[in-house]
Amino acid sequence: MKQVLARPAARFAIGLVAPLLFLAWWQWQASSGGARALTFAPLQSIGAALVELVADGALARDMFATVSRSLAGLAIGGSLGIAMGVSMAIWRPLDRVLGPLLHAIRQVPLIGWLPLFGLWFGTGQGTELIVVCLSAFFPAMLNSYEGVAHVEQRYLDVGRLYGFTPFQRFRLLLLPAAMPLILTGLTQALAFAWIASIATEILLGAGSGLGVTMQLAQTQQRLDVILVAIIATALLGFVINTLFQRLRRHLLRWQAAPL
Amino acid sequence: MTARAPLAALTAPLALLALWQLAALSGVFPTQVLVPPADVAETLWSLARSGELERHIGESLFRLGLGYLIGAVAGLAFGACIALSRLAEAALAPAFLAVWQVPVIAFVPVLVIFLGIDEPFKIAIVALATFFPVALATFDGIRGVPKAWFDVARVYRTRIPDLILRILVPATVPAVLTGMRVALTRSWVVLVAAELLAADSGIGQMMEMGRQMFRIDVVLAGVVVSGVIGFALDRGAKAIEHRATRWKYA
Repeated sequence: MKQVLARPAARFAIGLVAPLLFLAWWQWQASSGGARALTFAPLQSIGAALVELVADGALARDMFATVSRSLAGLAIGGSLGIAMGVSMAIWRPLDRVLGPLLHAIRQVPLIGWLPLFGLWFGTGQGTELIVVCLSAFFPAMLNSYEGVAHVEQRYLDVGRLYGFTPFQRFRLLLLPAAMPLILTGLTQALAFAWIASIATEILLGAGSGLGVTMQLAQTQQRLDVILVAIIATALLGFVINTLFQRLRRHLLRWQAAPL
Repeated sequence: MTARAPLAALTAPLALLALWQLAALSGVFPTQVLVPPADVAETLWSLARSGELERHIGESLFRLGLGYLIGAVAGLAFGACIALSRLAEAALAPAFLAVWQVPVIAFVPVLVIFLGIDEPFKIAIVALATFFPVALATFDGIRGVPKAWFDVARVYRTRIPDLILRILVPATVPAVLTGMRVALTRSWVVLVAAELLAADSGIGQMMEMGRQMFRIDVVLAGVVVSGVIGFALDRGAKAIEHRATRWKYA
């Protein structure tokens, strides 16, 4: 058994067994007739839905919309979060004034803001983007704060010896030392923004996007379309995450090998 | 920490509340848009007194509890299974990791189609949100047990039940508890989202009804309650985690 499992090809084949069994069971449910067959979409109709969504460009448009919503949220919410976290760590009075408030806001499940924002800003794409920005804001803020607030004392001592101005201290000591955590925060922010995009799209259904398509397909009982959108979500999430990890490694290449 | 620190921490939120109250009373914004905090407190109070709030919280916590229990037990069993058997890992881990790529919330439309929008759907989505973090933490926890411990157990011819109870469980408790805490906060978020979408009771539904009826005070009351519950769940789980792993620092 051990020798078999050591071979990559064999592992791959074994890994395929469960999904294939599941697909076979699925297909059997779909084609067995009866009431349940209506809910289970047969595999060929999922394939047909995929071809249809790819051919008329709907899938590409949805993927583009969701990705750009996530990235816009990451850019806006993430940069505000970094700015807030860094300022709070450098200037303690700001931390004391805004810290408790921000931590209180953070306790509310992100989606819990949707009804309120819906009343204030309408149930359109603007509200979707605001929630995505908010979801990216907090991980970026918390990690940047931690990064800057916990810079090693010996670095700061060296800075004092060299007589750094506050700006030099920030630019040459605090920022590079905090960079790994800031990037960790951005990685988390990206994951949060991605989930928030899908969630707000499902809940508000405004504009276009993978979540909007899923929501619409659910009201039309089109399980095949939902599954295509879910597969696209999984693949896109994986690709974005991998690219971001690469970028992170590239930006941190000056660092000693991670411990 | 000095006694002054909590006071200082309270200053800003209190000042903000006062500012909010003033802004709401100034009449610059219509009351449907900016409700004075005093009104929110009053709404919260009347919801609590009429028993309505209690019903919503009760319903939400019941769903959370049942779904969490199912998801955590399944996650523990699955995580232990793929951690202990190389064959199970090879057979199930790839599929598990593929599904893991999908945000749990994206399963909402699928579950609605299969289960409808009633109770089973909400319990299932909570169970799903719980299952993944718990399974992953259990897997990591068990794989993190040093191999030497198993070797010692083999030398002593430890029986399987003893191996599980006296080596595996104590060694994996910290990681598993962290996973279970993460799962708890996540499943709360997912449940509120599911209730916003479809429910006839629960905190999420209370907020959604408030939105549809333009009762911003009810919505804000829901925001406060869901925040407090989320905070309490996280704190409670942290306290349990701390208590259960105290032996590590003794």
